[in-house]
This record gives sequence, structure tokens and C-alpha cells, in this order.
Amino acid sequence: SSTSRLVESGEKERLMELLRERLVECGWRDDMKALCRAYARKKGRNNVTLDDLIHVITPKGRASVPDAVKAELLQRIRSFLMSSSLW
Amino acid sequence: WRAQLVLSCFEELLDFAVADVASECHRIARLGLDRSVDAEEEELRLWAARVAGDHPGAEDGATRAAGGGGGNKGAPDVFGQTHPAIAADVVDCMNCGRPVVAGRFAPHLEKCMGKGRKARAKTTRSSTAGRYRNSNGEEHSNHTFQES
Repeated sequence: SSTSRLVESGEKERLMELLRERLVECGWRDDMKALCRAYARKKGRNNVTLDDLIHVITPKGRASVPDAVKAELLQRIRSFLMSSSLW
Repeated sequence: WRAQLVLSCFEELLDFAVADVASECHRIARLGLDRSVDAEEEELRLWAARVAGDHPGAEDGATRAAGGGGGNKGAPDVFGQTHPAIAADVVDCMNCGRPVVAGRFAPHLEKCMGKGRKARAKTTRSSTAGRYRNSNGEEHSNHTFQES
């Protein structure tokens, strides 16, 4: 699959780093952390599972990525796929 | 349709990013590290309230540890003494000789010594005392102008 090719080439790692950086810069990460903390307070620290948290933040997380960040990543992915012979 | 391929790649990256944050927050919640963040926020709140004068001399282990340094008005110092936020001692102004509350000394001195535009110079006790001209060229004698 093209994803595994991404991994092999090391490009996935670079893209992951870029995405992480952008999501920190725009405050997305802080917003997600705040959601998690609120949930943990409500449910009780020791009753929280990793699965819970992923389910709690995924909808909002997907919806709140800034358009510019998404566009930048899509562009990077597209040019990488085009430049390699994975297209 | 290749746009879909690009999009799925992005979504997978995003899922990783989500799992990353969730994992960190899960760890923080389980280890109780969020308590230290809460404690920090609580300290800041108390400090801000104290500086505003709401809780003079409030004693709290966390806030005392946070700093009995220069900026803490009203908090007990290392000798256990508290001081009011505005210094109440009365001193004599070396310029005009009037008694002034120490905490209000700087604003007093501003007017007393002349702030530039707003306050005019007082007549000085020199041999030329008696008259001085302002910018309009009018003569004034033995007058002290203080606009405040």
C-alpha cells in the first residue's frame, strides 16, 4: 500500500513531525489537552482509559484542524506521491 | 481517484497525532500530574489576588513557598511581619518641607519639583527672585504656579 511505502521512505516520519509542529503552533494540541483534562476531572482520574480519551477528542480533533495546516499537509503528501513512483 | 488517496494519508497522520495527545493526557491523568498544573494555577490565582489587596497576609504553604520576594505586598515577610500595601510612614519632603505619606511620595515629588509641561517652575530664592517671565512674555512676581 502507499502508506507502507511512505513509511519505508521515511517520508511518513517527516510528515508526522511537520503535522505535529503545526498542530502545536496553532493551539490545537492545547485545545485537545484541555478536553482531556475536563473529561478526566468529570470521570475521575483513575477511571480514564486511553481509548476513552481517543474517542473523546477524535471528532473535535478532526474537525478543528485549521484549513491552512490541512492544505499544507495535503500538498506535501501529494507532491511526495507524485515524485515517487507510487502514483 | 487520487485525491482520496492523499486524503486518507492525511487522516491517518491525524489519527496518529490524536493518539499522541490522548496518550500524553492519559499518562498525566493517571499519574496525577494534572494536580501540579492545578496547584500552579491556584498559586497564581492567590498571588494575583493578594497583590490586588484582597487577601492581605494570607498564609498558605504553597503561596508562601511561591515567593516572599519583592513583589508580595501584604504577605508576611521572613520575620513574620506584615506591611500594608501602601507605606503609611510620614516623611518630610526635602523640596518643599511638607509632611508627605511615604507611599504617595513619588507623585508628590512629581508635582513638587515640576513635571515639565504641566507644572510651572516655582520662583527660587536667588538674587533674581521676584519676577520671572513665562513664554508669553508677561511678568509675574512671587507667584508659584502649580497645575495639577
